[in-house]
Amino acid sequence: MTTATMAAPQSGAALGIDRLFLALALGATAILLALVLLDGQAWSAALIVGGFGLGVAFLKAEFSYTASWRRFLTRGEAGGLLGGLIVIAICAIAVVPVAALRQNFGGAIAPLGPSLIIGAFVFGIGMQLANGCGSGTLYTVGGGSGRMLVTLLLFIAGSVLGSLSLPSFLALGGIDPILASDHLGPWGGLAATLASIALAAALIVTVAKRRGASFMPSRNYLIGGLAIGLLCVFVFVAGGHPWSVTFGYTVWGAKAASTLGFDLTHSEFWQWAGPKHALSESVLSDTSSLTDFGMLFGAMAAAAATRPFAAGAWPPLKSLLAAAVGGLLMGWGARLGFGCNIGAFVGGVASGSLHGWVWFLAALPGCLIGIRLRPLFGLSRE
Amino acid sequence: MTAMRKTYIVVVVLALAAIVGNHLSSPSSGRAVSPEDFVGACAPCGAPCPSKK
Repeated sequence: MTTATMAAPQSGAALGIDRLFLALALGATAILLALVLLDGQAWSAALIVGGFGLGVAFLKAEFSYTASWRRFLTRGEAGGLLGGLIVIAICAIAVVPVAALRQNFGGAIAPLGPSLIIGAFVFGIGMQLANGCGSGTLYTVGGGSGRMLVTLLLFIAGSVLGSLSLPSFLALGGIDPILASDHLGPWGGLAATLASIALAAALIVTVAKRRGASFMPSRNYLIGGLAIGLLCVFVFVAGGHPWSVTFGYTVWGAKAASTLGFDLTHSEFWQWAGPKHALSESVLSDTSSLTDFGMLFGAMAAAAATRPFAAGAWPPLKSLLAAAVGGLLMGWGARLGFGCNIGAFVGGVASGSLHGWVWFLAALPGCLIGIRLRPLFGLSRE
Repeated sequence: MTAMRKTYIVVVVLALAAIVGNHLSSPSSGRAVSPEDFVGACAPCGAPCPSKK
């Protein structure tokens, strides 16, 4: 868990089920399921269920990309990073061949260029300030962190700003996506993708060994990585594309802005077919929104099932400021970088798309800067 | 009840109302889609490929 952000709420309070919030989480999930099932959309229901499972898995395993990357950069500890690679490897086994061989399925691809690199770098800064990434924001908000509510709100605002900026950054140039299966076929592409993950793991372990740090994933990261990887496959099967998080935020923000009277329909981003469709249709017609909602309520149910929910006090103002700045940077960066650590890194690498690794290599230095900035906001570098 | 819990209740109820309201007042023309499902999309957000610009 992004432990600092979960606000350890229950100091001495009796552990047990928080019936109010458990009922709220389950009731909200049931309403969403009923709405999509009334429309005959069983796959949409599956995406909500998959997201719910992801929320439970992330919360129970305390699976944090942000903390893992920070531990690697500051101490050389590699266990968390390797846990993240387990997720990608499991997902790749399904995504690379199925996306190449089956119609109606596709991988997460994206062009390579300045927009990707700048976006990932800025996202990296933001995730360390916010103390949570794309998935981390969802499950910590669902888990009862008021601090991360602030991050989510600004994440949404930042992603709308990013949608307005993206066309200008794409105009800086770039090259079309490079997909392993396009060059090596479905099985050769899968082999190359798994080899790239193994190579990354070997490099990460080497760094950990040289720094005298541990590199074995904890039990939580092994089991969590396995469960999250399998749920990623489930979401891929239900949605036709790898799991993504941040486009949903952009849609929510754009719909809210439209309700407040801002006309986004004239901006280039919202004239592209996909975003235009998402803005005009029901929010429950967007695959990433469905998994996002499921994940929020899944994490809420899991948290409320074990302890008093959101029972802590609000964190200090400086910490809230970091949460806000981090959220804004992540939102803007995610749009420019074609997604977050889930949509761009996990989804991209698991699809055999080179942009996933480029995103990772650009986000890491951003994380380093974010880590150095954390003490300004009263946050530990560790 | 703490301020945080009250905030959460308000946020969840408002968010749920917004989702339901948006769903009931907007078209939903079939299976949920991603921007990548549309012709010409080159990224998860639906951005076009550099070679197509």
